[in-house]
Amino acid sequence: MRRIGGAFLSLAAFLALWKAVTVIGGYPPYILPPPEAVAARAGEAIGSGLLWRHASLTLLEIVLGFALGAGAALVTGVALGKSVVVERVLSPYIVAAQAVPILALAPLLDIWFGGGFLARVVVCALIVFFPIAIATMVGIRSADPLLDEMLRSLGAGPAQRTRLLEIPSALPVVFGGLRVGVTLAVIGAVVAEWASAGGTGLGVLINIANQGLFDTPLMFVALVTLAVLGLAFYGLVVLVERRLIVR
Amino acid sequence: MTPDRPAADAAGALPIAIADVTLRFGGRHGTLTALDACTLDVPAGSFTVVIGPNGCGKSTLLRLVAGLLQPTAGRVRVGGDAPRAGDGRTGLAFQQPRLVPWRSTLDNVALPLEIAGLPADDRRGAATAALERVGLAHAAGLSPRELSGGMAQRAALARALITDPPILLLDEPFSALDALTRETFDAELQRLWLERRRTVVLVTHSVPEAIQLADRVLVMTPRPGRVARTVAVDLPRPRPPDLAADPRAAELAGAVREALAEAHAVELRAWADESADAEETA
Repeated sequence: MRRIGGAFLSLAAFLALWKAVTVIGGYPPYILPPPEAVAARAGEAIGSGLLWRHASLTLLEIVLGFALGAGAALVTGVALGKSVVVERVLSPYIVAAQAVPILALAPLLDIWFGGGFLARVVVCALIVFFPIAIATMVGIRSADPLLDEMLRSLGAGPAQRTRLLEIPSALPVVFGGLRVGVTLAVIGAVVAEWASAGGTGLGVLINIANQGLFDTPLMFVALVTLAVLGLAFYGLVVLVERRLIVR
Repeated sequence: MTPDRPAADAAGALPIAIADVTLRFGGRHGTLTALDACTLDVPAGSFTVVIGPNGCGKSTLLRLVAGLLQPTAGRVRVGGDAPRAGDGRTGLAFQQPRLVPWRSTLDNVALPLEIAGLPADDRRGAATAALERVGLAHAAGLSPRELSGGMAQRAALARALITDPPILLLDEPFSALDALTRETFDAELQRLWLERRRTVVLVTHSVPEAIQLADRVLVMTPRPGRVARTVAVDLPRPRPPDLAADPRAAELAGAVREALAEAHAVELRAWADESADAEETA
């Protein structure tokens, strides 16, 4: 109750500050719309189904992209953590792929994957892959060698040691990577939407509002929706983490 | 050596034979000889204590018997065969309890059975019984972090005992405990051993503990380790916790101390190096 109260208070303060800036600065709505204008525009966009049409696709891109990227990253991370050879062979490519800005890579992926939904999911997957794979690798290696020896003395094979020791030891670190990854997935979805011309999605909606209509309040609606999506996914990851990790 | 003890135990204890075993660790900074042509025999059902300075290869010796390490040269035999890790013939207890922090005490004790693939119900029953044997039945549901040092070490002992292995290898399992708790443990260990005569090899730094528990004490030289002298402890059992007043016990303790001092004198410089090593690793 107290936590909810605190969050409510901070939100109210934020909105008040926002309103104060628009009043004191006297900015026109196409530069900085006041919060009530954004709220009104949000009401319209929700009522007409516009927001849901764009947000639902972005949501799906994030969920699928994150699931795909995180899944691949967990498997790769375990392999990287378990085998120095695998790390030596793969890590240059993984690091290089990460070092190339996703913004520059997105148009290429757009061409490769047919310029639609699939390309966007791939961009999301790619952007979440790195932090999760690296976190998993580091986590797997954080297993206590004394516990590992104890398990070996009991006859546990490599697969059993991974299941009984390495994966549970890795979880706290892996969840650090998942927290970073899930927020990156939101960025990935928008970047991918910008790279592909037209279509649907919150990133597309921002472009339409900005360039075509000069509808800055609608832009804000899209931005706030993205922020809320990011917060919701992050919260979901934290929730799963709390359930899974026994401290 | 132990005239009041049979050479082999009918209840399933196994003998250990170590013949001319040399073990070298190769590392980035050269090789290190932990054991050098070490030979010793442990009769089935006997209680053997290995004593020696830090780094003399005592723990290495146990790991060879447990099948966790393979000798560079020589032969290790447990009941006639080369040991393999997890072959079920040895139970190993370490200096640290090494309990898995996210498992309950009961699930920690049941771990050997889980690895062996036993069904959950059987595991639970056996683990409960094993906890009872070490007086820890009330702690089954506790997390390892909630256990005191002594309780954690008891749980580790229960884990080593749960499969009732023919050979019990104890690597200074009581060295981190306070003197009083340790005395209790020694008494309990004696009781457990008198109950079921398994082959026990206990590594320790403590001369009183050695005299309290052993059929015979093997005194090791500093690295590279070798058995410098064997002291047979022919005191009747069960032995009381305080043996200091017993003249025969004092005499045997004196013999062990003398053998230790001799071993040190021979390789005093090596020992100084080892002590420095041990401090670094501690």
